[in-house]
Amino acid sequence: MITIKNASVRNALRIIIPFALIPAIIIMGVYVFKENSYMFISVGVIILSLILFISGFEKKKTGTRRLIIVAVMTALSVVGRFIPVFKPVTALTVITAVYIGGEAGFLVGTMSALISNFWFGQGPWTPFQMFAWGMIGLVGGLLSKYLKKSKAALITYGVAAGIVYSFIMDFWAIIWNNEIISIEAYLASLLTAIPYTVIYAISNMLFFALLAKPFGEKLERVKLKYGV
Amino acid sequence: MKAFDNYNPITIFIYFASVITIGMFCLNPVTMNPLILFLSLSGALTTYIIRNRMSGVKSHFFFLGMFILLAVINPLFNHNGVTVLLIINNNPITLEALLYGTASAAAIISVIYWFRSFSQIMTSDKLLYILGNISPKFALILSMTLRYVPLFENQTQKVIQAQRGLGLYSDTDFMSRVRGGTRVFSVMVTWALENGVVTSDSMTARGYGITKRTFFSIFKFRKKDIAVTVASLILFAIILTGVISGAINFRFYPEISHAQTTAVSVITYIAYGLLTFLPAAIETEEEIKWKYLKSKI
Amino acid sequence: MEILKIENLTFSYPLCEEKAIESISFSVDRGDFVTVCGPTGCGKSTLMRLLKKELIPLGEMSGKVYYKGRDVQTLSEKETACSIGFVAQRPEEQIVTDKVWHELAFGLENMGMPQDVIRRRVSEMTCYFGIEDWFEKSVAELSGGQKQLLNLASVMVMQPDILILDEPTAQLDPIAASDFISTLSKLNRDLSLTVIITEHRLEEIIPVSNKLFAMESGKMLKYGETRETVKALRNNAVFMQGMPAAVRIFSSFDLSLPCPLTAREGREFIEKNFDNRVSELETPLSNTEKKDAVLEFSDVYFKYSKEMPDVLRGLDFKVYKGEIFCILGGNGSGKSTCLSVAAGLRRQYSGTVRVLGKKIKDYKKNELYRGCISLLPQDVQTVFLKNTVKEELEDVVSKDHTLPYDLSELNDRHPYDISGGQQQLLALAKVLSSAPQILLLDEPTKGLDAYAKKEIGVILQKLAQTGLTVVCVTHDVEFAAEWADRCAMFFRGEITSCGIPSEFFAGNNFYTTAVNRMTSNYYKNITTVSDAVKIMRLNMNGGAE
Ligand SMILES: Nc1ncnc2c1ncn2[C@@H]1O[C@H](COP(=O)(O)OP(=O)(O)OP(=O)(O)O)[C@@H](O)[C@H]1O
Ligand SMILES: Nc1ncnc2c1ncn2[C@@H]1O[C@H](COP(=O)(O)OP(=O)(O)OP(=O)(O)O)[C@@H](O)[C@H]1O
Ligand SMILES: [Mg+2]
Ligand SMILES: [Mg+2]
Repeated sequence: MITIKNASVRNALRIIIPFALIPAIIIMGVYVFKENSYMFISVGVIILSLILFISGFEKKKTGTRRLIIVAVMTALSVVGRFIPVFKPVTALTVITAVYIGGEAGFLVGTMSALISNFWFGQGPWTPFQMFAWGMIGLVGGLLSKYLKKSKAALITYGVAAGIVYSFIMDFWAIIWNNEIISIEAYLASLLTAIPYTVIYAISNMLFFALLAKPFGEKLERVKLKYGV
Repeated sequence: MKAFDNYNPITIFIYFASVITIGMFCLNPVTMNPLILFLSLSGALTTYIIRNRMSGVKSHFFFLGMFILLAVINPLFNHNGVTVLLIINNNPITLEALLYGTASAAAIISVIYWFRSFSQIMTSDKLLYILGNISPKFALILSMTLRYVPLFENQTQKVIQAQRGLGLYSDTDFMSRVRGGTRVFSVMVTWALENGVVTSDSMTARGYGITKRTFFSIFKFRKKDIAVTVASLILFAIILTGVISGAINFRFYPEISHAQTTAVSVITYIAYGLLTFLPAAIETEEEIKWKYLKSKI
Repeated sequence: MEILKIENLTFSYPLCEEKAIESISFSVDRGDFVTVCGPTGCGKSTLMRLLKKELIPLGEMSGKVYYKGRDVQTLSEKETACSIGFVAQRPEEQIVTDKVWHELAFGLENMGMPQDVIRRRVSEMTCYFGIEDWFEKSVAELSGGQKQLLNLASVMVMQPDILILDEPTAQLDPIAASDFISTLSKLNRDLSLTVIITEHRLEEIIPVSNKLFAMESGKMLKYGETRETVKALRNNAVFMQGMPAAVRIFSSFDLSLPCPLTAREGREFIEKNFDNRVSELETPLSNTEKKDAVLEFSDVYFKYSKEMPDVLRGLDFKVYKGEIFCILGGNGSGKSTCLSVAAGLRRQYSGTVRVLGKKIKDYKKNELYRGCISLLPQDVQTVFLKNTVKEELEDVVSKDHTLPYDLSELNDRHPYDISGGQQQLLALAKVLSSAPQILLLDEPTKGLDAYAKKEIGVILQKLAQTGLTVVCVTHDVEFAAEWADRCAMFFRGEITSCGIPSEFFAGNNFYTTAVNRMTSNYYKNITTVSDAVKIMRLNMNGGAE
């Protein structure tokens, strides 16, 4: 069973893995291992993500309430994914990240992807979604100070997150169709994906505009009443 | 018969990991070897069909269509290759491109089918068991979420009904639907969080977080599990070396060219054949065993 | 031997000036079966939670709780977690994991027990509670009763010596409830397990409990051996209403005899002290002049999805203007479904439903809900939208409309911060406020004390007299017998019997009031305490005295 004993090492890992290693792997996968980049990336990413959970999570003494909140938010976003237009996963991930913390956000993002694919079908795309949403959550957590302050910032981040998400998934799509990575191909697929990206961004915007505040209140209340 | 389902989740996971890894490993311009792809595809299809028999026949047609589409699209957009079949508004359609398209289509479809079987066999509780061995806590959260999802769907329905019953919810026009939707969603959030806290109480009440959790499961690791695990790993190693050594390299562009057959390549093919048809073999063996027992009775 | 000792325990919730618990002291011996009773909102749940260290809610607490002579605060986490088990009111919320077997193992996993120990204990409990056949199911598929049994089992695997239950049977039908209670008393006898339980329906629980704890507005009223306490409470109107039928009947005669508790003692009491010349009350003939049907089901079939079995199988009944129509029936028999069809929330696939003589599908969107029909759902938390009780009421209550009862003292509480019974009342208030002509209530009395039940009964009767029609699904036979104009028995999606309470219940053997069970050998068609008393008075003068 993998566990990192030393706390400082763990913290180091928690910073390094997402921001250095995972991108590094992707770059390497794309340019060095041209041949079988895709597999290399997804496997690399998911393994590292797992290490991240484990190091950050298994050893740390997480309060039951935190645990529950993560489970609840994940479940909500999974249930939300069934709603046709709205895909609240990003929104919920970000909100959790902002109010509960980056790690919680990361968990909600990754687990939403993993679990909802039990219904939508697991596939080689699973690790990519896990990664994309996980990062959105983690970054949201790091920015929470500012995002809490102004609703505008929150909405902006939500939209940006939506766009980034679809960028990452486009990226995945072209390696999946195993074309040799070329900027043209990438741009082309981005162009074709624009309508989806726009819809996605807008739905996120709406979601934040409508739900950010009540959500915040509710989470704050639970924090207050039960001391999360 | 679903004999393969009864193997230990770890075994199942390792098997699929190896077979899918190889399948995807070959999904690149250099090692896209028709024989390997054929084995992968036929293996995937056999495994899926043995498990599901005639159910879900429609989906096969869908994937057939997808196969053809993928095969045809490539030559239309990709014009390298030397043997020109025909020219459509001064763009050459080449044999190589067509074959390449077919090959990659085969690769993609086979991977998809492997994943279809995988998703069927690796049910959530099996996945939990695997994760439970890595991180009990993560497994617990996953388990909790898996319990919440159906619960919340059910509750969402209840809330909508309740609000409608009070005449507070209507879905006549788009705006009112959005308003109603958000209203319901916010009720759901309150409800979910509050109930979540009750759940967390019942967790603490049963001593959650006092000491390091163990992870209980009803799966056992038996001899046959070990056998299959070892088998898949060995086969995987053989094939991987074979692939990396370039013994089965196969190129379509600019013209079809491949490494000539050697002992290594033959061994690789055989190994891959064995790997892909392992589940099918297990199922048939079980089948035969039963027939035999019946005849004894 | 004294196992639990409480010394002037006091508790108040944050931002609440009045105390939820005030200087309570008592002690419990090993093997006791203590029943805690008291009106809604008197602090039962709070008290129960204070007894379990892990569950003490946020707020000021003073006083001490001793477990086996040692202060609970000084015990190790492991000890308290294992030795005091807790089962709460709503079965749904306490389940943590998604599979039955995993739920059973959960507590032991937390203790870090090795696989084989867990396996042994779990299998043992599985056998004891007889849940083998749903051992591998996922919890979403279980019925309410099964869920609650699972909760109990998954607490019992920890092998506690004290078991605390907070209204564990509130959501169960009478049969399931009495099964659950008999399981408890079995545990209490077999393992000399100490049980502390809060209940509103005392009929079943009093006979098996050897101590009774009566509390009122956060204070202890009386605690001691059951008979003693019952006797002591004889002239306390509020508590008497909650007592078993035998006691209520007995206490309305001032005889100097030992008070009967169980139905059997009740029978003996009647046997000994009354001769039974008069065996029937001349029933006020039910006003037979034909009223017009406001709700009409004719041959209705419904199922939730194509592959699922029918839930309503040719349902066929009429409800007349201004009557209170009670529907009884087991868990999962389709009562709630029936109501949601009646309210037009779900569409039957065959048969017709008429509301006020008009086919339900001819109503325009929401026209049906504007002062026409209104439904109180089974899970009342689904109607709360706002952050305080006040907002909740303002959300719907028009200024001129006045509530039949008062909730103003809860005004600035969060709807989730009030007691179960109070939530019930709040939800009912919201439903009433739309001034409907037909009122559909799904178990309006669950979690309510006898006094509040009576309050609701009175309210409903008042409304009925003003011409409002009430259709009420309930598990509470006493309530139905007391207040209904007609009762109907629901079984596997259809109504199997229907009639005015006295005749209806007289027809049943088990699904009937305790009074009826007690008196049926001597008198005909006696279902309520008041009737019983009336007829016994008639038989008196020739009797004991
Ligand atoms: N979380 C809370 N915050 C503030 N006040 C509360 C909270 N929970 C309960 N109360 C109040 O404390 C009192 C006791 O509540 P409690 O739930 O113990 O009553 P109860 O006897 O269990 O009622 P019921 O029989 O309906 O369950 C009630 O007045 C209730 O309004
Ligand atoms: N939303 C749903 N989807 C599918 N099946 C359902 C749904 N709701 C209820 N059922 C099934 O329909 C049947 C009747 O359920 P219903 O809730 O009407 O019973 P009930 O008489 O109200 O039970 P209880 O007394 O516990 O409230 C049950 O077998 C239940 O499993
Ligand atoms: Mg209570
Ligand atoms: Mg119901």
